[in-house]
Amino acid sequence: MQISKKVVVLGHFGVGKTSLIRRFVEDSFSDNYKVSIGVHITKKTIEFSIDESVTLILWDLEGTDDISQIRESYLLGSHGIIFVFDVSRPTTFQNLGKDLISLKEKTNEVPVKIVGNKSDLVDAKELDQVLSEKNISYDYITSAKTGHKVNHLFEELAKMLAINA
Amino acid sequence: MLKEFREYYKNNKFQFILTDLEGSVIDSDQNLFRTEKGTALGEIHPFFFSISDIMGPNREKTVFHCVQLGNSTEELTVDIEIIKQNGQFLIAIENLTEHYISYQSIAQARNESIIDSELILLKNHDLEERERFKNEFIQNFSHELRNPLTNIIALTNILQRSQLDEEQSNILTVLKDSTSNLKLMLEDILSLAMISKGKLALNPTVFNFKQLIEFLKLTYNTRAKERGLIFTITADESIPEYIEGDRLRLLQILTNLCDNAIKYTPNGKIILYAIQNQRRANKVNLRFGVKDTGIGIPEEKLETVLESFEQLGNTEGVGLGLSIVKGLLSLMDSRIQIESTSGKGSHFFFDVNLQFPLHDPNNETPDKKSKNEVVQKQKKYRVLLVEDNEGVQTSLLKTLIDAGDFFIDLVSDGALVMQEIVNKSYDIILMDVNLPNITGDQLAKVIRGFPFKNIKSIPIIGITANSYKAQIKAYKKAGMNVVLSKPFDDKELLSNIYKLLK
Repeated sequence: MQISKKVVVLGHFGVGKTSLIRRFVEDSFSDNYKVSIGVHITKKTIEFSIDESVTLILWDLEGTDDISQIRESYLLGSHGIIFVFDVSRPTTFQNLGKDLISLKEKTNEVPVKIVGNKSDLVDAKELDQVLSEKNISYDYITSAKTGHKVNHLFEELAKMLAINA
Repeated sequence: MLKEFREYYKNNKFQFILTDLEGSVIDSDQNLFRTEKGTALGEIHPFFFSISDIMGPNREKTVFHCVQLGNSTEELTVDIEIIKQNGQFLIAIENLTEHYISYQSIAQARNESIIDSELILLKNHDLEERERFKNEFIQNFSHELRNPLTNIIALTNILQRSQLDEEQSNILTVLKDSTSNLKLMLEDILSLAMISKGKLALNPTVFNFKQLIEFLKLTYNTRAKERGLIFTITADESIPEYIEGDRLRLLQILTNLCDNAIKYTPNGKIILYAIQNQRRANKVNLRFGVKDTGIGIPEEKLETVLESFEQLGNTEGVGLGLSIVKGLLSLMDSRIQIESTSGKGSHFFFDVNLQFPLHDPNNETPDKKSKNEVVQKQKKYRVLLVEDNEGVQTSLLKTLIDAGDFFIDLVSDGALVMQEIVNKSYDIILMDVNLPNITGDQLAKVIRGFPFKNIKSIPIIGITANSYKAQIKAYKKAGMNVVLSKPFDDKELLSNIYKLLK
């Protein structure tokens, strides 16, 4: 069975959404920060077996510090959402609860994975402490720079979407 | 002409595509993309993959702004409008690449500037946290040192009064000097921590300026001679005899500058001077300076020499002197200025605004008053000593016993104090603030609230390792007459006891 699923990657600006996608799709990384505007769409097929694959259509949305301002048209027809924050910048996750509520209002039951990116910039123990102090729960801590947990994130999401299909 | 222009404009800007509901191309222009009839639109660009999901069963029209349809060779940023009509999708694509490129550069500058300022704030926050931790550590550590140091000072003084042979006496002199140095260093570290935390406040009083200069002359003449240096001190005759300012802190600044000059001058001379810059009404602006013929400061060190723990070469001390000077002068709205030539010497100076009394304070000044104080010893006094630390107990008991004027009762638990003062009659209470069960300041409050005058009016001397002015003020407010900060010496303790007993 071959299916395709639309996955929207969103979050504040500068958190590394484009880098995560680039690491997953092209297995490359650049330290140069280039702002994404609007939406950029790429795809990658994950093959689970000879006759079983999922093509992820990845919508890389322009970052914003106000999630409620995301254009609703970008979210139409999405099957999964990846919310990315930058573990080294508290402003990108301090309103996570509020951001998720506002996202839920726009997308209803679409599953959301919460990802803390740029783990290479912080100490793991300190990060755990900060996130637990701020009561932040997440699904993955990744590093687009080192590739830590990046494939894991997309592959698990793809599996989950395939099961839900 | 207009028709041609319209065609040219339309051809370069727009593409219209007609597909069935599965996204298979029925008809299309070829202005922006090459699209063959019958091909799946999703193969042209992944955006179109999910077109049927996007539109769903009920949606008739949707607009997408700023969609990047470019590939690795060409940037193409477009707005896309999709209309569902008669079982088909009409897709209108407008090329707005140039417009969005200018938006991109604005967003880039904006985002970079926000991220940079966030990172600076985080860095500052981190530095502040480290500084706070450092100051708290220094403060706590210094407080912990106060108890043993108080004991050492007291016991050294007691030992000095006993019968000693020459060798023991020499050893004791070294011990006493080392203790004094340790006490000074501890005070420096605490001063610095208090300045950094903004907890040090100036305490202006009227003092005799000439006496201050005489004191410095006496101290540094002797110290300079010991090192084979010449020390001279000059002060303008026009400077008022009595000045209002924080004498202790001014002295601390000048001694730090002089100590530094002595430390870094292997031979030659040191000059301390005071000049009157300006005088108006009861205000006077003075310049103080210390010049030396010492090793000087290399140019690259001039900026960092005022930082904590910064030293020139391997010298004694911990390198806090100039940092304290900088902090104290900042409290006085002044700043230290430095002129120095490596190998030739240094000149440290500052201007400071002070006041002076318009009427001669004469014999009422604190300096003269304290000089005239006469301790009246008429009888033996009954002292209640409340202290739980055995080391401090021993040294205080020894000091009081050696003075020969006191009967002493010792209590180590704050909860037993009331029982003692109700059953016995005391002339004075000497009490540690940090007691088990009930603190000294709480006890003072209870005593001052007692209904019997003979109990509520017993003088109380508090002893504390805390040197914060606000805290000491709070202890006094609770009812303590005098609060002594550790480490203190026996003279200071006895003089306060006699003063209260007068």
